[in-house]
Amino acid sequence: MNERVQRLKRAVQEAVPGLCPERALIWTRYHKDKQNRKKPRPIQMAEALSLVLAEKTIRIWPDELIVGNYTRRRVGGGIFPELHGLVQMSDLFSFPSRKENPLALSRADMARLAAIAPFWATRFLGARVHKSPRKNLAFLARQLSGTEFVINETGGISHIAPDYEKLLTLGALGIGEDAAQRRKAVRPGSDEAVFYEAVETAMAGLAAFGHRYADLARKMAVAEPDPARARELAAIAETCEQVPARPARNFAEALQSVFFAQIAVNIESLDNSVCPGRVDQYLFPYLKRDLDAGTLGPDQARELVFAWSVKFAEIVPVFPALITRIHGGLFNGQVVCVGGTDGNGADAVNELSMMLLNAMDELRMRQPNYTARVHAGSPPEYLDKIHAILAAGANSPALYNDGAIVPVLVKNGYSPEHARDYTPVGCVEPVSQGRSFSSTDAALMNVPLCLELALNRGRRFGSRLRIGARTPDPGAMLSMKDVKRAFTDQLGFGLEKLLDDLAAVERANARLHPTPLTSALLAGCLESGTDSTAGGAQYNFSGIQCVAPSSVGDSLCAIERAVFRDQRLSLPELAAQCAANFPDEDLRAYLLSLPKFGNDDPEADAWTDWVMEAFSDLLEGRKNTRGGKYTMGVYSVTVHEFWGRVTGADPSGRRQGEPLAAGLAPGNGMDRCGPTALLNSVNRLDVSRATNGLNFNVKFDAATLRGRTGPLALSALLSTYFSRGGMQAQVNVLDPKVLKEARDNPAAHPHLLVRVSGYSAYFNDLTPALKDELIRRTSLCAGRGGA
Amino acid sequence: MSHGQSEPRGLIFDIQRFCLHDGPGIRTTVFFKGCALACAWCQNPESISPKPQIAWYAERCTGCLTCAGACPKGAILTPPGQRVDFSLCDGCGACAAVCPREALVSVGRRVTASQLLDELMKDVDFYRSSGGGVTLSGGEPLLQAGFLADFLPQAREAGLHLALETSGACRARDLTTLAPMFDLLYFDMKFMDPAGHRKWTGRDNRGILAAFTRLARSHPGLVARMPVVPGIQDTDENLERTANFLKKCGKQEIHLLPYHPLGEAKIPRLAPGLAPLELDGDPAQSLEKVRKALESLGLSPLVYEPL
Repeated sequence: MNERVQRLKRAVQEAVPGLCPERALIWTRYHKDKQNRKKPRPIQMAEALSLVLAEKTIRIWPDELIVGNYTRRRVGGGIFPELHGLVQMSDLFSFPSRKENPLALSRADMARLAAIAPFWATRFLGARVHKSPRKNLAFLARQLSGTEFVINETGGISHIAPDYEKLLTLGALGIGEDAAQRRKAVRPGSDEAVFYEAVETAMAGLAAFGHRYADLARKMAVAEPDPARARELAAIAETCEQVPARPARNFAEALQSVFFAQIAVNIESLDNSVCPGRVDQYLFPYLKRDLDAGTLGPDQARELVFAWSVKFAEIVPVFPALITRIHGGLFNGQVVCVGGTDGNGADAVNELSMMLLNAMDELRMRQPNYTARVHAGSPPEYLDKIHAILAAGANSPALYNDGAIVPVLVKNGYSPEHARDYTPVGCVEPVSQGRSFSSTDAALMNVPLCLELALNRGRRFGSRLRIGARTPDPGAMLSMKDVKRAFTDQLGFGLEKLLDDLAAVERANARLHPTPLTSALLAGCLESGTDSTAGGAQYNFSGIQCVAPSSVGDSLCAIERAVFRDQRLSLPELAAQCAANFPDEDLRAYLLSLPKFGNDDPEADAWTDWVMEAFSDLLEGRKNTRGGKYTMGVYSVTVHEFWGRVTGADPSGRRQGEPLAAGLAPGNGMDRCGPTALLNSVNRLDVSRATNGLNFNVKFDAATLRGRTGPLALSALLSTYFSRGGMQAQVNVLDPKVLKEARDNPAAHPHLLVRVSGYSAYFNDLTPALKDELIRRTSLCAGRGGA
Repeated sequence: MSHGQSEPRGLIFDIQRFCLHDGPGIRTTVFFKGCALACAWCQNPESISPKPQIAWYAERCTGCLTCAGACPKGAILTPPGQRVDFSLCDGCGACAAVCPREALVSVGRRVTASQLLDELMKDVDFYRSSGGGVTLSGGEPLLQAGFLADFLPQAREAGLHLALETSGACRARDLTTLAPMFDLLYFDMKFMDPAGHRKWTGRDNRGILAAFTRLARSHPGLVARMPVVPGIQDTDENLERTANFLKKCGKQEIHLLPYHPLGEAKIPRLAPGLAPLELDGDPAQSLEKVRKALESLGLSPLVYEPL
């Protein structure tokens, strides 16, 4: 990392994250104009986007080679008033002072933002999901409580890996021209014609955005006293004159074009999981051409890559406490994926893959979310590099196994070639680059709550109000068959409610929040003349997350043992103990001693597998309103911590207040036999059901992976896990001592990067409960010699 | 399943998976119970007695005394701070079976060769990908020669890489017949002077050194190891005698094991046969001193990465 990159990194890390009101205010001004509100929605979206891009403050910061500011602050986020802006603004007056993730915001801006709230109170997406006002109020109440399930799609969709290759090849104006040609072939005034017109407008807006930077750079070059910097600014001006409007001619232009588009797509769709994806594939031709021609040296290329990577950390999401409980750690999931194969299955690692791995390792910043694909033919030097980085404690990249993921995608309807062109988006969800509109993070389901309802005839513990299915009294359940039946009935009932709400949210997104710019960067939309929110993309899915399957699996295992095998107590007695949060400490100790998932115990593991099967069976055959399947994901972001607080105690021995299992991991602290046993358990599950991906976090004490033996052991663990069909893994190598220091004295480790759930976050940005959970989970058994 | 005398059973007290420092690769280490020595620095004091024992974890005990009703020997004590009268306890485990909090724990269980093998084969994929295997440790595994004669051929048949950690304090015949079944023999050089050896371990070392000399000629996988306890092994005299002995045996390599006061925490939980060691000096400094000294004496010492 050279000095310039160090300065850029420092500037971003030391900048105080803040809230920028520009997008919200410009968006509101546009929509307050009644003339505008008469226009078709897609046109409104394209014009509002173009207006933001034309009017927002632009800056070129010192030392920058890649430019483009998402907000007017160095590090900042915006408000999406037409989506979940009102929820975002629930912390409006406390953003600067709140303890976790404070965001700078001036009093004047607070007042400006508060003033737009009434306009959006009846217009934001959540207010218009269901036609019946009463039904809509009930929907909003469910969303705000967020106990049974959470529908993230109410806050917008995003979660895409745009076809940036197309942008680099045609330029924004080229894509606009394509849309114009297509418009001539359809009936004027038709939905298709409107969509094409919106694409033309949005692409023109994107092109003009680059030109603003060209003008600014030219002006700055004239005023710049340092001749070297003046030359750089002149070069930036030349680059921005060309891209994103026109095709990229070299590597620098390609990087620049991608970042401009990244800003625009974030502003249009939602600042959540807009993913550059397989950058090492579509940018490599530009890099290679420059290197071969000698117009770019390897050091210059590296500097550009680093400077580009730093830019992603400038974009932060604005989450109020309400959302932080689900998505902790200021993360916005801009995935960069390296490695994997080409469309024919041949290995695709190249110089740029390695350069990006180096950038990730040396920068160690929160964004982008770096991931690496591995397969049977991954080159040893690539794998060795990754294992060394991980053993040294970088906690990134997360690893994705082509051998497990590609067949799952094919089974789910992708062509083999498109499946091999997958990149994870968001946390862990595989999509085909530039072809999928997957809403992978559509909703999260509280599965352990369904067990609570099953143990109390469809009611929460201590409540008389039935919110679930009418299942029998626990006293009438005479076998595990009855218990399983009651649980699946509750799960089915809950999923039905979820899918009913979700379908309405999907329609609301299509109706109220089409995204022409994003759609033009997804294959299928221009061809069909249909926006991606309305099903225009080539591949459509919606991901429903099965949260904490092992919490339920361990509970079912405990019921079978305690009630039906050992006959230690009756099911109503056990349910009463759970409802009362285990007053009997001896009973709880006994329940905790029963088999648990993650310890290489086939009996316990089979129960977790069964829960995942039950969940995916209930989604089988269901279609979303875009014509795509509902897919099961097994990840929990940070909602397992929140739901652990609000979900009653369960028969596994977990008390209310303790976190649920995170992703595919065992229950908190339940894995006691070390990493080999854990991996055996995970490999025992049929993960092909997790068609929306899964998150498997394996944590090591730093001492275990130290020295000569550590990286070798890690490499053996991972290669075994993947060769046996493991789908995904992320390795957290953490020193509990360092974590405790960071917790007790945040200033000691201001930028300690940890892996949360499919993404990296600064430890300091986590809630106290999450910090404690991470510390608790950090030490797996270390090898100890007997001597 | 049990066939009385017909199938020999081994007495073990722990099986640890994912061990990285008991031989190459990822290994599972089996800890056998029973040892002929009682080293003052022993890290596994629960390994010394050749019989099952009961350990009491005071911090987990709620004083419910469910154990008192279960004990056939009347060995449960009721005053606070005490629970087991170790002079009466025969380690039958009846109390541990009823203890609701795992405060009373059986140390030592009997396994057949096939039961043990099933347990070890769980990580076979990891042994293969890492070049690892199984290490027998203890205690002294060779004291259970009858069981090993049954177990080792089955383990070899299963293709496991086998390592042994031995004190050499066993019957010479057992060592001779069983050693060839192992790929690696880690042989402890506890102390060179016979009188000192008796003082620190309770036994003379002449038979042990003779066994090492024989193995050095016959077994290519023999590796010397030395526990390094500050103030004990790190004297100039001991290091010089160690180096001379090893060179005479044609051995250059020696693995140094850092000392951990790990065993001392365990002593009060068990029949206390040992007194805590009064340490004289810093283990890390001592280790570094020994490494340098042995190097200058012409050996190739390898320091185990401290955990």
